[in-house]
Amino acid sequence: MSAAALRVDALVKRYGDFTAVDGVSFEVQEGEFFGLLGPNGAGKTTTINATVGLAHITSGAISLFGYDVVRDWRLARRQVGLAPQEYNFDRYLNIRDVLIFQAGYYGIRGKAVEKRADLLLERFDLASKSKQVYTKLSGGMKRRLTLARALIHEPRLVILDEPTAGVDVELRLELWSLLRELNTNGTTIILTTHYLEEAEELCDRIAIIQRGKLVALEATQKLIGDGSLQDIFLELTRR
Amino acid sequence: MIVNTVGFETLVKREIVRTFSIINQVIWPPVIQTLLYVFIFGFGLGSRINTVNGVPYAQFLIPGLIMLQLIDQTYSESSSSVFQGRFMNSIQELLIAPLSAIEIVLGYVVAGVVRAIFIALLITGLGAVLVHAYPTNWSLYVLTIVLVAVLFSSLGIIFGLMAEKFDHIAVLTTFFITPLVFVGGVFTSLQLLPRVLQTVSLGNPMFYMIDVFRHSYIGTGDVSLGLSLAVVTALAAGAFGAALRMVAVGFKLRM
Repeated sequence: MSAAALRVDALVKRYGDFTAVDGVSFEVQEGEFFGLLGPNGAGKTTTINATVGLAHITSGAISLFGYDVVRDWRLARRQVGLAPQEYNFDRYLNIRDVLIFQAGYYGIRGKAVEKRADLLLERFDLASKSKQVYTKLSGGMKRRLTLARALIHEPRLVILDEPTAGVDVELRLELWSLLRELNTNGTTIILTTHYLEEAEELCDRIAIIQRGKLVALEATQKLIGDGSLQDIFLELTRR
Repeated sequence: MIVNTVGFETLVKREIVRTFSIINQVIWPPVIQTLLYVFIFGFGLGSRINTVNGVPYAQFLIPGLIMLQLIDQTYSESSSSVFQGRFMNSIQELLIAPLSAIEIVLGYVVAGVVRAIFIALLITGLGAVLVHAYPTNWSLYVLTIVLVAVLFSSLGIIFGLMAEKFDHIAVLTTFFITPLVFVGGVFTSLQLLPRVLQTVSLGNPMFYMIDVFRHSYIGTGDVSLGLSLAVVTALAAGAFGAALRMVAVGFKLRM
């Protein structure tokens, strides 16, 4: 049996006296579209940061496709692409170079990368802006560029931290379509979002974190049952 | 040591792209300031001074002026690049990639060395054209630039990581680097100072950087070449080690 795309095992993350993540364990299988939900400060972003190497782990373990993120960090990081909520692009590079340089940091360069960058810019409708810096793009374009950058090194798992925060309905639907296509083509996706209908619409399974603890982990339809995700979410997170 | 060679080279290239996209902040100011120093001190005041350490004053001045600009620009660029990366969070692009601490630190430092050599060559060209000052020992010339660039790129990384706002970066420049460089032998030989100031100057690290670089131009300095080189090498190694340690533990980078 192949290793899980993501395996989080008894993860604890403390900042001084404050425990941000308190013994969380879950697995995401390869090819899944997985939702990680919770109110602000619940521990979602900390879990993601620990997964991609932006936070130290206090105790527990995380592995990506069988590679431990601490022991086998180089191999683990090659498996994952992160699309953060904020726009943290390099302001000195045009958007085509943002993609090419990001691939470079992953140890990939050459004509194949340039071709992939052009392909992604085309696919995300950014080709006409390829020579511009990101500050010249609209909010929707920046969102799409975030996704393109996360995909440039062909990761097997993509983590999307609130990918549709602050975007209009039309763009949200467009992003949903892109994400579905990506998942259908075999990329495992982990999504955090405050839009519950988004998780309901896209995710195969959903985990809910509250005050650093995992309070639910079910297939989306099973979790919702006859009610709505909003009702379940409020019930679990108001306890 | 370096496993992700492409990643390391990409970071060096990125830093050089950054330098040339802000060329009016990084490259031209040292050249123009050097021109002004040469005209005012070299040609103006220098015409009233016979020779210093056996060479015309304007020629004595050039290696000190190169060091002055090199130190200032290398530190400023490295610190502002790291701080800006933290401030804008764009440094996360490096932190989530399979790049080790040594690859990241060397990326910034090697870019600092390239930048320093470029600036030094421009000012060296000016010195050659204006006052006929040429390096006589090119190996020592390059070695000194590399060591000084390693030292101040590393200090730039350290302060870029420690700073909470841009103003903090300027603390080292305003209160330490600029005063110490100015009294470190840029404009005068140690031998021309009163005895008490000569002794004080020996505690100034900038003095050794300027002195060793002057050796590469006029073949002589105020203290032995071995001592100056040893001090500069030790400082560069210490600063590089400290910067590497800070990045390795994720100081203000990884939560």
